[in-house]
Amino acid sequence: MKVRAAFLVAAMLSANACGSDEPAAPDSITVFAAASLTEAFTQIAADFEGQDGTKVRLSFGPSDGLATQIQEGAPADVFASASPKWMDAVAEDPGVVDRSDFARNLLIVITPADNPAGVDSVDDLGRPGIKLVLAAEGVPVGDYARELLGNAGIADEALANVVSNEDDVKGVVQKVALGEADAGIVYRTDVTTAVAGDLGVIDVPDSDNVVAVYPIAALAGAPGPARGFVTYVLGPGQTVLRDAGFLPP
Amino acid sequence: MIALAVLGAAFVLLPVAGLLARAPWERTGELLTSDVALEGARVSLIVSLGAAALSLLVGVPLGLLLGRTSFPGRTVVRALALLPLVLPPVVAGIGLLTAFGRRGLLGGPARAIGLELPFTTAGAAVAAAFVSFPFIVLAVEAGLRSLDTRLEDAAASLGASKWYVLRKVTLPLLAPQIAAGAVLAWARALGEFGATITFAGNFRGETQTMPLAVFEALQSDPGAATILSLVLVVLSLGVLIALRGRFVGVGS
Repeated sequence: MKVRAAFLVAAMLSANACGSDEPAAPDSITVFAAASLTEAFTQIAADFEGQDGTKVRLSFGPSDGLATQIQEGAPADVFASASPKWMDAVAEDPGVVDRSDFARNLLIVITPADNPAGVDSVDDLGRPGIKLVLAAEGVPVGDYARELLGNAGIADEALANVVSNEDDVKGVVQKVALGEADAGIVYRTDVTTAVAGDLGVIDVPDSDNVVAVYPIAALAGAPGPARGFVTYVLGPGQTVLRDAGFLPP
Repeated sequence: MIALAVLGAAFVLLPVAGLLARAPWERTGELLTSDVALEGARVSLIVSLGAAALSLLVGVPLGLLLGRTSFPGRTVVRALALLPLVLPPVVAGIGLLTAFGRRGLLGGPARAIGLELPFTTAGAAVAAAFVSFPFIVLAVEAGLRSLDTRLEDAAASLGASKWYVLRKVTLPLLAPQIAAGAVLAWARALGEFGATITFAGNFRGETQTMPLAVFEALQSDPGAATILSLVLVVLSLGVLIALRGRFVGVGS
């Protein structure tokens, strides 16, 4: 037993020793990105890795949750938020550099492909008996959706129809794609090829719609490749974002 | 040995200490009487008690069946009965959706009799029951193993029917184990998160139990999350102290 423990310790020490011989430049960065960026950023990260050689580790979630994790000390090097609100929070504590807006997004109404409740317009979301799923308040798309319902003048009726407040936008997509809910409000970029067959899409009139602005920044003190990734998103990454349906910043 | 034991105790104690250290105590009163906390506690109470009742309903017969009879495939049934203990709860939630969801195997028939589970408190209770009923099965089986079968034989020799023996001898003798199993099932149901949020969704006053409220609060108000977490810590600790190690048979 003792021998084995000693061996383990020796192995760990020698592993450390090997590590210290290598140059200080990190070989990977960690990017925290809004759930709505899942597909686009997975692609952009792969492209960036191919070009830069730096490995990109991605963590997707609701922007508010990611901001909290960063403030609690999660090892993020880059933060891409679906709302300026949560970037503001991270900018204040622990601080960011190279902040800029990199994309905009619009909201749509989704239904299951067979549209069991016959939802054809935003106004239908206020009809009694509709099972509506939104993202929770505080989650950017949840706040945007509530703003949209207010613009359409049906906030009270529609909010009375909400049966679940999902943790992030992908949760809304799932509940609707599975056919458990009659309708949901998500970003138009969330109707990806993977789920398009399960969903019906209803466009929101421009007068009611809400424009989501996406800021990105490197965390203060993040290594060089983090700032390189931010630059990449603002440059070559734009094509991927455009293909995914995001609007230019 | 003692050093490792201290380490073990610290392993549990430190996260609790962390919660205590981080909690915004000056907001305690406000947070404990907030809608989130009160509604969460109410839903949690209904859901966990409902789940315990459901667990008893299906767990006791299954435990008796597995503990007292032998039939082909018993090993498989036993493994199935314990599956929810090891299954990731989110998987349980997906399974429940595919069985009882609107488009699930039993979704149509269930709706026909007016029973809708997704997004309802009943659905949250079903999700919690699914992950907690194995505790009852285990408790009944363990109880049967340590049961003095001579008491049942005596009753039978005096002319009692099998059903009568079960009701008047076996079940009363098993009562302490069943009670302990029920309390553990209740505690497990109280902490249920993954299956609930997947199957029943998250809506305050309807399906948002305390763990779901904690998770939602954590996204934007970590302080509130710590206070709500401590409520759950106190509640769970209370249950375990009340149980006094009964489940592992070291009552003190």
